[in-house]
Amino acid sequence: MAKEMIAMLLAGGQGSRLYALTKKLAKPAVPFGGKYRIIDFPLSNCINSGIDTVGILTQYQPLVLNEYIGNGQPWDLDRLHGGVHVLPPYQQASGSDWYKGTANAIYQNLSFIERYDPQYVIILSGDQICKQDYSDFLRFHKEKGAEFSVAVMEVPWEDASRFGLMVADEDDRITEFQEKPKNPKSNLASMGIYIFNWDILRKYLEEDKADPDSENDFGNNIIPNLLRDKRKMYAYHFDGYWKDVGTISSLWEANMEVLDPEHSGINLFDDDWKIYSRNSGMTGHRISAEAVVENSMITDGCRIKGHVKHSVLFAGVRVEEGAVVEDAVVMGGTVIQAGAVVKHCIVAEKAVIGEKAVVGGMPSEKEKGVATVGPGIHIGNNAKIGPCAMVEHDVKDGEEQW
Amino acid sequence: MVNSNADALGIIFPNSYDTLVPELVGKRLMASIPFAGRYRMVDFILSSMVNSGIGNISIAVRQNYLSLMDHLGSGREWDLTRKNGGLNIVPPFAENGVKLYTGRVEAIANLLDYLRRQKEKYVVMSDSNIAVNFDFKALMDEHADNHADITMVYAEEEIPQGFLKPRIATDGMYYTLNVDADGRVRKIHINSKEPGVQKLAMNIYIMEREFLVKLFEIAFARGYSYFERDILAQHLDKMHVQAYEFCGYKARICDMQSYFRENMKLLDEKNLDGLFAGDPIYTKIRDDNPTRYINGSKASNIMAADGCVIEGEVENSILFRGVRIGKGAVVKNCVLMQDTVVEDGVKAEYVISDKNVKLTAGKEVRGAETFPVYIAKHQVV
Repeated sequence: MAKEMIAMLLAGGQGSRLYALTKKLAKPAVPFGGKYRIIDFPLSNCINSGIDTVGILTQYQPLVLNEYIGNGQPWDLDRLHGGVHVLPPYQQASGSDWYKGTANAIYQNLSFIERYDPQYVIILSGDQICKQDYSDFLRFHKEKGAEFSVAVMEVPWEDASRFGLMVADEDDRITEFQEKPKNPKSNLASMGIYIFNWDILRKYLEEDKADPDSENDFGNNIIPNLLRDKRKMYAYHFDGYWKDVGTISSLWEANMEVLDPEHSGINLFDDDWKIYSRNSGMTGHRISAEAVVENSMITDGCRIKGHVKHSVLFAGVRVEEGAVVEDAVVMGGTVIQAGAVVKHCIVAEKAVIGEKAVVGGMPSEKEKGVATVGPGIHIGNNAKIGPCAMVEHDVKDGEEQW
Repeated sequence: MVNSNADALGIIFPNSYDTLVPELVGKRLMASIPFAGRYRMVDFILSSMVNSGIGNISIAVRQNYLSLMDHLGSGREWDLTRKNGGLNIVPPFAENGVKLYTGRVEAIANLLDYLRRQKEKYVVMSDSNIAVNFDFKALMDEHADNHADITMVYAEEEIPQGFLKPRIATDGMYYTLNVDADGRVRKIHINSKEPGVQKLAMNIYIMEREFLVKLFEIAFARGYSYFERDILAQHLDKMHVQAYEFCGYKARICDMQSYFRENMKLLDEKNLDGLFAGDPIYTKIRDDNPTRYINGSKASNIMAADGCVIEGEVENSILFRGVRIGKGAVVKNCVLMQDTVVEDGVKAEYVISDKNVKLTAGKEVRGAETFPVYIAKHQVV
C-alpha cells in the first residue's frame, strides 16, 4: 500500500552548543516545556498532519532517544503498516558508514522509503520547537506543481546573514540560495524542512552519493544542484512560532516563552494541536500551604514548599522550604533543597541543589549568562554557581564555580 | 518461566458498593469514580496486581460499565495488552436466565469456563472501592506458608459511617471477622454495628484456582448469591480461612462524605506518600500540558494534576486534570474533577464538581465540611 507522503526526521544532531545537556543524549531528546522532549514537536506535527510513517535518523548518543521513541505509541505511531522507525547507520555488504551528512543519512535509507513508495517525502529536523501543519505545506507543494519546496521564515534583515536564505520571485519560485551570506538578497530563512517529490529526491541523492567532493548535505549540495538544473523549487512561507533551540540561551528563552503563550505564540495549551509525549505517570503535583507559586508551569509529581516564580518545572521536581526558584528551567526529578536560590538558569534532570546553595543570578550589566547544571550533578550545601557557569561535575559543599 | 511473574490471575469486581454513592455512579460504576487528581478507583487495585507480577486480570462488570471500558481501553497503560492473559473485561452473559449479578457467585459462575482453561495456580480477587497500593506477592507468600484454603485481607478500623446508614440488608454488605490466635477466621459477622475498632474485611481474597472453581460450581448449583454470606461465613469449620492484616494506607469510599474526606486527606504528604510512594499507580494517559499558574493566581495547600490553568485563588483543594480557575475566583476546600471550569469571580467552598461542570461567572456555591455540595457531570451552575 503506497503512502502519499512519509517523513524522514533528522535526529542525529549532537547539539554541541548545549554542552552539559547533550553529553549523554542527542539534541532531539533534550527535555523541553515541562513534560516534552524536543522531538515531540516534529512527531506530534506529523501525526496531527496525518503523516503516519516516520523514519528517525539517529547517530549521536541514540540510547535515550531510542528508548524514548520505543514503539511510537505515545504519538499514535505504532502502526501495522508504517508507524515510527528508528534508523541508525548500519553495516552493509559494501562496508559500514556513519552518516556523513544530512543527505547521506537519507541516502543510506533509500530502501526504507522504497518500501512505502510514497509520492512525496518530507524531510524534518529533530531539533526545532515548532508547531506546523505539514499538510498545508504539502497542499502548497502540490498547488505549485513543485518538485522541491522548502519552508521559510521571514527573519529581520539584520539577522539574515546568520541563515541559509532563499531568494524567491513573486510566485514564490526559488531563484537563488545563499548560505549565510555577507550581503543578503533575501530575508527568507530556510527552516531546514523540505518536501521532495520522491523520484526527484532519489535522483539527486544518488547523484550526490556518486560525487566524491560532496559534503552530502542538503543545504550545501542538494539544493545548489537542484537550482543548477532549474528544478521547480518553491518557498513555502511559515509565520508561526519557530525556534532552533541550539544554544543554552535559546533553549532557556524558548522555555520562558512557553510561560507567555499569549505573546510568544508558542501555545502548548492547544486542544486542536496537542503535543504528545511519553508520560511520567506520576501523581498530581502538590503545592504546600507555605509555598508561593507565581506565573509558572508545574508538572505532575512536583512537590513545592518554597517560592517558585516565572519558572518551568518538569515532572517530579522538589522545591523544599525556603528555596527560591526564579526564571529557571528545572528538569525532571531534580531536588532543590531548603534555602537554595536558583535563578535565571537551566538545571538538568535528576540534579540535587544543596541547602542554601546559590545557582545563577539575575542578569546584570556585567553578566547576562544562563547558568547550567548538567544531569545528575550534585551541588553541595552553600555552594555558589555563577551566572555563566556550565557545571559538568559535582560541586562540593561551600565551593564556588564561575 | 524465567521472570518475576506471579503464578496467579486476578479478578476485579468493579460494581461492588455502587449503591453507597448513588450520585457518583449515576453514569458510571465504583471502579471508574475519579479519585486523587488523575486516577479512577480501579487504577489502584489493577496497578497493584500488575506490580505484583499478575498479568492476567478479568474484570467482572455488571452494569454502567461504558465509562470503565473507555478508561481501560485495551489495558495498555497497565501493561496488560498481552498475547497471553492481559486484560479481560467480562460483561454479564444472559444465559440460563442469569440476570444482572447480585453477588459474586453469579459473576464468577459467568467466568467458570474461562477459569477452568487458565494455567495459573492461584486466583486473587478484589473489589475496587478501596484505593490502596497493595502487595499481592506478600499475600501470596503468606497464603502458601499457611497452607490455607482461602486467605482474606482485613484492616483494623472502626466501621465507617457510610456502612451504618439504614438501607436494604444485601446492598453493599460488609464483613467483620473473629480471628483466633493462629490467625484463622473463626466467625464472619455481616453488617455488624459493633462500635470501636473491628477487623473489617477489605474483600481481597486469594485461593487456588481449582479450589475456587469447585467451590463456585457447588455454590452456583445450590443457588447461592453471596460469596461471603452464603459460602465463607457458613463453612468456616470445614474450610481453612486465614486472615491477613493490611496495615498500610488505604482510602475506602463508602459514601459522599468519605469520598470528599479521602480526597482531602491526600493533601497531607504522609498520606500521599502512603498511597503513592510504593510502586507506581497507572492510569489512562490524557496528554495534558503541565499546569499553568498565571500572574495573579494564588495556590496554597493543593494537589493538582496536569492540564489545569489557574488564574484565581485556590486553597485546600484537589484539582483533577484540565480544571480551569478564572480570575478573581476563590476556591476553597473543593474537589474539582476533570475539566471543571470555574469562571471569573466565582466563590466555591466545600464543593465536589463532577466531570465537565461549569460554574458560571460570579456564582457562589457553598457546602459544609460534613455535607459538601455535589454538582453532577456536565451541569452548568
